[in-house]
Amino acid sequence: MPVWQQVYEEVNDPNFVIICVAEDTGGEAVAGPIFDAANPSYIQIIDQDHMISSIFNFVNVPSAAWIDEDGRIVRIDEGTYSKVHEMGDGDQSITFGNDVYSPAIKDWVAKGADSEHVQSAETVTGNIRQHTDDQLKADAAFRLGNLFRNHGKAAKADHYWNMAKELNPDSINFIRQNLTLSEEGSAGETFMNLMGQYMAEGKEFYRPLDIE
Amino acid sequence: MAEAFFAYPELRNPFEDTPIHPEGSTTVLYQGKKITLDETGEGDDLLIRSEDLPAVNGFELKPEGACFADLCIPIKDDLLVEQNGRQWFNLTAFANLLDQQYVADIESRVWSFAEIPAKRENMMVNAMAPDFEIEDRQGNVIRMADFKGKKALIVTWSSW
Repeated sequence: MPVWQQVYEEVNDPNFVIICVAEDTGGEAVAGPIFDAANPSYIQIIDQDHMISSIFNFVNVPSAAWIDEDGRIVRIDEGTYSKVHEMGDGDQSITFGNDVYSPAIKDWVAKGADSEHVQSAETVTGNIRQHTDDQLKADAAFRLGNLFRNHGKAAKADHYWNMAKELNPDSINFIRQNLTLSEEGSAGETFMNLMGQYMAEGKEFYRPLDIE
Repeated sequence: MAEAFFAYPELRNPFEDTPIHPEGSTTVLYQGKKITLDETGEGDDLLIRSEDLPAVNGFELKPEGACFADLCIPIKDDLLVEQNGRQWFNLTAFANLLDQQYVADIESRVWSFAEIPAKRENMMVNAMAPDFEIEDRQGNVIRMADFKGKKALIVTWSSW
């Protein structure tokens, strides 16, 4: 999160807002300290129901939407990294991320519609994931499970989270959020295997980033 | 960044077993809101009082139908149900009419509704950001419409 604070400060434009959303069913207890450590002045939201991901049909974090002064989305659903990361060891290690995304944001804020990074409505709608009825239903199931978990009803919570994962197997968000409840955590063997399978099937965590 | 990938063992199931709503009530989840209804009809369909409709999904009953902004859905007979001498609005039949997905735990009297596809069309077709309402960490209600005239970057992340 410090990276967004840095971008926010560098841009320093009263007509630019950052709305930073933690997709965390654990709420303030898990996401709060990470936000606080960034000493942020942007808008901070802890979205326990993953509602923002659901609205924009995101299946993974970090993702983002750029929205212009008229409410039009001008870029959407790309891995919003600020540098290249490495995860895991040896054969299982993967690299992800990029260092071109935040400079592109700054260019957009400075130049607006003239920025080369602004995409047409056609490109943007082509990049918005088309979610099936089952995938939309998965969001409802996830929230239902969340309500049960918040009220200490683990069996029902698990039932509806499993339903959500079955209805939307593309959602890395659901899988990893659920894995935070397991001993191995959200980046253990289960996740690494799933990730390998996901990539082998040619699925995309995000839309391809076409920023040079 | 690496430390953020680990689970929080002490937070795995941190919640106490508490009632979802008072005995006899019904809970509706929609667009991040949790609405408790004191009175609903009986059965597997969700039958609500017409006056609860705006709180539940923003629609309002008008002579031309159930309306949200410019969108008005004519009310067919099967949406209004007589039960125990009272008239109810069949919210699940309305959802079916709108192709709106939902999941219900009838035993616990909880219905969770997905977004209404017609309300998303402006995003899917014209790339216009949908409006939403969500509280920030300070308790302020944040609406997409608040940012008219500004550029907004909405970015998601997670602790996991």
